[in-house]
Amino acid sequence: MKEPTELKKVSEYVDQCMKCGFCTYFCPVYQEERVETSVARGKNYLVKLALKGEQEFTEEMGKIIGKCLLCKRCVVNCPAKAQIDRVVVAARAQMVNEKGLGFWKNLVFRRIMSDRKRFARYLKLAKTFQWLLPTTEGSIRHLPDFLKALGAGRNIPELAKTFLRDMVKPVYKVEGGKEPLMRVGFFMGCATDFIYPEIGLKLIDFLVKRNVEVVVPKDQNCCGAAIYFSGDFETGRLLADMNIEAFKDVDIIVTGCATCSSTLKDYAKYLPDNEEQKKRYTDFAKKVKDSLEFLVDVLKVDPKDLKVKKEFEGKTVTWHDPCHLIRYQDIKDQPRNILKNLDGIKYVEMPNADLCCGMGGSFSVYHYDLTKKIAKKKMEGIKATSADIVVTACPGCMINLIDSILQNRMPQRVYHIFELFE
Amino acid sequence: MVSSAVVEELKRIVGEGEVLTNREALRAYSYDGTTNWIREPDVVVFPKSSEQISQILKLANKDKIPVTPRGGGTNVSGGSVPWLGGIVLCTTKMNNILKIDKENLTCTVECGVVLQDLNNALAKEGLFFPPDPQSFLGATIGGIIAENAGGPACVKYGVTKQYVLGLEVVLPTGEIVNLGGRTLKNVAGYDLIHLFISSEGTLGVISKAELKLNPLPPAKKTIVAVYDEVAKAGEAVYRVLENGIIPGKIELLDNWVINRIEEMMPMGLPKDAQAMLLFECDGIEEAVQKETEKVVEISKKYGAKDVRVAKDLDEANRYWTARRAGFAAVFGKAKTVLSEDVTVPRGKIPDLIKRSQEIAKKYGLELVVLGHAGDGNLHPSFLTDVNNKEHYEKAVKAMEEIIYAATELGGVLSGEHGIGLEKQKFFSRVTDPTVIDLMKKIKSLLDPNNIMNPGKIWE
Repeated sequence: MKEPTELKKVSEYVDQCMKCGFCTYFCPVYQEERVETSVARGKNYLVKLALKGEQEFTEEMGKIIGKCLLCKRCVVNCPAKAQIDRVVVAARAQMVNEKGLGFWKNLVFRRIMSDRKRFARYLKLAKTFQWLLPTTEGSIRHLPDFLKALGAGRNIPELAKTFLRDMVKPVYKVEGGKEPLMRVGFFMGCATDFIYPEIGLKLIDFLVKRNVEVVVPKDQNCCGAAIYFSGDFETGRLLADMNIEAFKDVDIIVTGCATCSSTLKDYAKYLPDNEEQKKRYTDFAKKVKDSLEFLVDVLKVDPKDLKVKKEFEGKTVTWHDPCHLIRYQDIKDQPRNILKNLDGIKYVEMPNADLCCGMGGSFSVYHYDLTKKIAKKKMEGIKATSADIVVTACPGCMINLIDSILQNRMPQRVYHIFELFE
Repeated sequence: MVSSAVVEELKRIVGEGEVLTNREALRAYSYDGTTNWIREPDVVVFPKSSEQISQILKLANKDKIPVTPRGGGTNVSGGSVPWLGGIVLCTTKMNNILKIDKENLTCTVECGVVLQDLNNALAKEGLFFPPDPQSFLGATIGGIIAENAGGPACVKYGVTKQYVLGLEVVLPTGEIVNLGGRTLKNVAGYDLIHLFISSEGTLGVISKAELKLNPLPPAKKTIVAVYDEVAKAGEAVYRVLENGIIPGKIELLDNWVINRIEEMMPMGLPKDAQAMLLFECDGIEEAVQKETEKVVEISKKYGAKDVRVAKDLDEANRYWTARRAGFAAVFGKAKTVLSEDVTVPRGKIPDLIKRSQEIAKKYGLELVVLGHAGDGNLHPSFLTDVNNKEHYEKAVKAMEEIIYAATELGGVLSGEHGIGLEKQKFFSRVTDPTVIDLMKKIKSLLDPNNIMNPGKIWE
């Protein structure tokens, strides 16, 4: 057994838990399984034993700490404010230190995802063959049953014909040679780059029209969410350093992906091994703005000045809170202020708007059965609104919402909130 | 130890996936809501029906294997910790609400239904289950009944035992019996349901319950009264009641708690106040209005420095959130918190507070007082550190003195948490030996092999 170095960094959070069990009510996984190892209290107790050297990182332990969406519902509702999400991530990092990453994660995280160009090449290769998969609706592809690893019967989105990276210009000046209001760096994120490039183009266009100069550094990489939340801090730091370097010339970084914005902001929370790194990550975090935060808190755009696209006029719209927006960044009112005051649409708040969609990044790859059950509850909330459209601000959530809506034979369309605007 | 043959038999009864034997899972069922009572079971089993519970108990009874029933594991007495190992019988998967009867204001539920889930479903019908243990987010009905739990609302509405009309119980020998019924009045023979209410899982497994409900009160108002002496606040409680007003809740927070809440979430509470009483009047709007006026008047008359009425729901919610944060405030500040559950007749609250303060002073400890003042149930707490042996032992001694003070004042050592393991050492000292003997005889009559939650209540 190795020294629990990663666990020691979070020992103060481990001690915060007073075992009241309130987390059971808020944990989407516990609500399905109703077993103590599914919930924060159980996981934290096992980590507490590991810290004392009484619990080894067995295969079972790996399964237990793996089965967490990191949705943070337990954390924000905890009377003691125990940060069990950080305990879970640290435990995964400790597991990686002791047992390694395993063949597949090692291949994907360290050989492919950490090298953006290689990642794009692999995906292009995949794209060439994706016509082999049967099409269900529009650009959604139905994954055949033999691809068990990604969950049987799952609708996965088609990869974009052209990736965003191959379409964007390095700099977008404001029109008419005017002096820009400010200059920002645009962070794409993997899902926007490879699946939803239109969201990226829309956001850039939106910003430029509001006199913001946008630069798109070509050396930017994956934010690292799937990687460091799986406990691979080493690759996480590699990505952090590449992104910090890529954006060193801008003071503000904007991204349309809630997971990316929170991940970039939280390098300082999870990754530092020393004070120098901590300072660098903290300074970097100050530059990062989620697109909604930028729109409302920085640009201070009046919703009345936003025009809804013709195709959305008269529609009923509801909002899904991404975990990484509402709980990781406390961005809750901004989208609602916009949607409530936007002319041309009717906004309806859905019950359980803040409930996780069930995706949880790679969680859904390993526990697709649970993802489906959790998503079903989300779908009940959406159904109750009778909305035509679900908007959100996280491409990860979008993938899972679209899949669940199709699985449940519902009529709603899913968009990124910025896609509503003219 | 539980043999592998028994484990196989359990799997046959409930299905392979509903039996856990791996070390990690056993450890996750070794604790409850207390800090230091920890013991691993040999196996955890999740029945889905009364019949399955019956088969499990028959099996356990044959081999004399200890069985500890466990719901949400939110209890704070050590009661659901499998002290002698054996089987943890976990009811969390028996969580169906079987019937909500609006005509008769009753409902039928399985034992594993979580209180908050029940109240969410009842609210849709304009009903609620009044007893409100503050563990309502995780506590199951079976556990709530087995502990006879209560909370702030008990000043007006009473505790769990006043809301149980009937029970289905699986006896340790495996028989499934129905006790009580579905009516408000019932004197057909011995009132056996009350044997199982507050039995702490030692007499059988409560599998289903028939509960009495109330209509949701249409109006509510929150009143805050501030005092410069804790004992004065204690007096105000019974003054309000003796003047004919029974508010839905009366909660007490002391200066220490007020200040921690202000640090956590500033909301303009008076930081110099020694104590604060939080009243909630509920009922029909006109009545609530009148009661509120009366509470304000009486509070002022009996020494409140300042009295405010929350102007809207938002403000009211902020006060109640603060009250709920009270425990977090206590727990967040110390390594270990020793918290008690003593209850005295309401008129003795000022005496209990004064005695507790004197005891704290004598031992040089920091005392925190909060609790359900309306029903005389206080939670005096000491901030300590279990790793600091000297300090911890002092706190334990001081708490013992508070417990004896409460019993001397005509009170009891537990108002709502139960004895379990936590209060065993006091139980025998404050209870008539003949009464304990009687309890033991009842226990052996129902559970001849002593398999149900052994090692609890008495030492």
